[in-house]
Amino acid sequence: MKKVFVSLLLLFTVVVVHAADYPDIAPLPERKAPNPKQVELGKALFFDARLSGDAAISCATCHNSEKGFTTTMPLSEAYPGSKHWRNAPTLLNVVYKGRAYGWDGRLDDLDDFLRDMITDSMNMNMDMQLMQERLKQDPKIVALTLEAYGDKNMGTSKKGEMTHYVARNAIIQFLETLTSKNVPFDKGTLSAKAKEGMALFKGKAGCIQCHNGPYASDGKPHNTGVPENPEVFKDPQRHFTYVAYMMFMGVDNRMNWRRDVGYYAISKDRKDIGKFITPTLRELKHTAPYMHNGVFATLDEVIEFYNQGGGEDRPGLKDAAMKPLNLTNSEKEALKEFLQSLSGDPISIPMPKGVKVEYQAMPNWKGVKN
Amino acid sequence: MKTNKLYLGLAAFILVVLMFMAIGNIALAEGDPDVDPVLAPLPAHPPIPTDNPSGKNVFPSKMDKKQELGYLLFFDPKISGDGGIACSDCHDPKMGWGFSDPISRGYPGTVHWRNSQTAVNSGYLNKIFWEGGTTSLEAQAPAAAEGAVAGNGSRDMMESRLRFSPDYVKRFKEVFGSEWPLIEDGYAAIAAFERYLSQPDTPFDKYMKGDKNAISPMAIKGMDLFKGKANCIECHNGPMLTDEKFYDIGVADPPEFEENGINQVTFRYQNYAKGSHEEDYRTAKSDRGIYFKQKRKEDMGKLRTAPLRYTKYTAPYMHNGTLFTLEEVIDFYDKADGVDRWGNKTKIIKPLNLTKEEKENLKEFLLTLSGEEIKLPVPKVPDYAPMADWQPKK
Repeated sequence: MKKVFVSLLLLFTVVVVHAADYPDIAPLPERKAPNPKQVELGKALFFDARLSGDAAISCATCHNSEKGFTTTMPLSEAYPGSKHWRNAPTLLNVVYKGRAYGWDGRLDDLDDFLRDMITDSMNMNMDMQLMQERLKQDPKIVALTLEAYGDKNMGTSKKGEMTHYVARNAIIQFLETLTSKNVPFDKGTLSAKAKEGMALFKGKAGCIQCHNGPYASDGKPHNTGVPENPEVFKDPQRHFTYVAYMMFMGVDNRMNWRRDVGYYAISKDRKDIGKFITPTLRELKHTAPYMHNGVFATLDEVIEFYNQGGGEDRPGLKDAAMKPLNLTNSEKEALKEFLQSLSGDPISIPMPKGVKVEYQAMPNWKGVKN
Repeated sequence: MKTNKLYLGLAAFILVVLMFMAIGNIALAEGDPDVDPVLAPLPAHPPIPTDNPSGKNVFPSKMDKKQELGYLLFFDPKISGDGGIACSDCHDPKMGWGFSDPISRGYPGTVHWRNSQTAVNSGYLNKIFWEGGTTSLEAQAPAAAEGAVAGNGSRDMMESRLRFSPDYVKRFKEVFGSEWPLIEDGYAAIAAFERYLSQPDTPFDKYMKGDKNAISPMAIKGMDLFKGKANCIECHNGPMLTDEKFYDIGVADPPEFEENGINQVTFRYQNYAKGSHEEDYRTAKSDRGIYFKQKRKEDMGKLRTAPLRYTKYTAPYMHNGTLFTLEEVIDFYDKADGVDRWGNKTKIIKPLNLTKEEKENLKEFLLTLSGEEIKLPVPKVPDYAPMADWQPKK
């Protein structure tokens, strides 16, 4: 009897401690509906190649609206003249993230991060001032901006004027619409098998230690020993793009790294080598391949990776929580079933065809104010 | 003792001024702000900066290693944002090492807002760009390679690209002794190559050095007009035929700004990016020139006097390419009817009342300032290679 009591007490302690460690996984909370006109403007800009330096790519090039707002390639495309060394993360539910944007969690503010996605040399390589003047040249954009922001103070001298800040704000309003719809987990319509998977997720498999909260991510960096994607170092364009990024972030010894240093680029603390921000698990159905470098093509591979306790790394680098899970085949199936129940209806917006990069001359150029 | 020295200095200065006025047949005309240096041949090579030594050889002799590296880089689109445009795209050897549209092409997806100037003889200039904003070729190269409507390159990306071309790694090591290419060294090599693009042996130079048959009698008459009645020499003087000072001469606005949306985008962008207060940002419709440097009203519309060498190959003319031929340029000065937008238009320019024959002579003289066309083939630029193939793992 005493033993049982002690065990119960222990169990209780463990649960309490865990509850304090991380939030439970939970349905996505309601968000205030964005202004439809602002969304319309943001959507137009999302597909607009004039947002990139040489007007060759748009946000949708790497965050394809017909492919889960990412692409099916392990490693992302990048700005012309460079190639990315990481996987393009989905933009679905990104507005719920709220911190640690990018695989290495470089910035905590979505507007700041969006700005860098537009200005970074390997992303869209755009000058914000030039982008603003390009957008001001388009009468449709100008009219839409006035409609969308005419009654809102966006820090401009006249309300409803297009600025680069307004452009980014509109894109974020569009991102507000890219949230999961009809997710079995959120609706509480899990199958029996998915429920079993959820129990494993929170228990034996321990996924919840990092994948928690409504966004299913703790927003923190962890090293799980994901193997390197050898393509990064085989392709000089990917390799030099990575080197350029390390130079941008001030990483030491950048010519000699033959691995993605991850969060180390931010913290410069050697114990952070190979750490990446926990990604969301929502909409996995629509966002394969997986991991920061797309090395796993299927959820089965991902589950097997964790089942084996993650990958290899130098002593002290891999997260101590990573241990073999000894999941049975049936448990793996159940876990997969649960993971899939975190995905809702596919969100697909047809890629607009024939969006023209052109600039109409303003009539009465000398008479109008800039 | 000190006072004596001062008097001596002053006397020497007056003497020098008098001597110049005597030999150069220069008079301080009405509204003439300064004493003008005489016309002179170019030195055999441009000054070589001590912090970027290179060969003193100029075209067509053989390049040294640094110039050769600069030659490759000049033609290599790796030195740009999207790897799609090289220095040579706006400074095209086939277009007089400039660009033959009135307003230069720009970075892909953009246009520039001014006329592209020739790279030939740029090593002799102290003030580069139409605003004279940089004082060395070493500083000009990055300004062009990194500007949003020019090269739009970032240093991180361009330097990394060079490091993945084994041929560049070898050449940079040989020339600069660095383990890995540095973009600053790349700019230095480009500057060395541009100094190679010099032409100190034009008919004019030969004439000035004593070969009286190097230019035609017509051209000699033209030179007299240049120095006399037409008074070009007031601003176009010295061996480069520029005083490198700043004037508003009232060149018309280019029609491109009225007619093309993409030019309007760039105009507003430049006006914005160069730092404008609200009123300037909202109202500017004409190029304000060096006003952008210090925002002094008296600088509005002023630009650095253009050198006149190699102009045979560098049409169209003026900072915005609004004059297509040398004849049009001569007519522009002859009529002296440019616009005075800001009350800054120089008083030096007055109607010249040149006869048709005088205009022809003047043109003949201007043509003596260009030698043969400088032609170089487009080199094959180094390729990328995976590092594992040529660098031992460390």
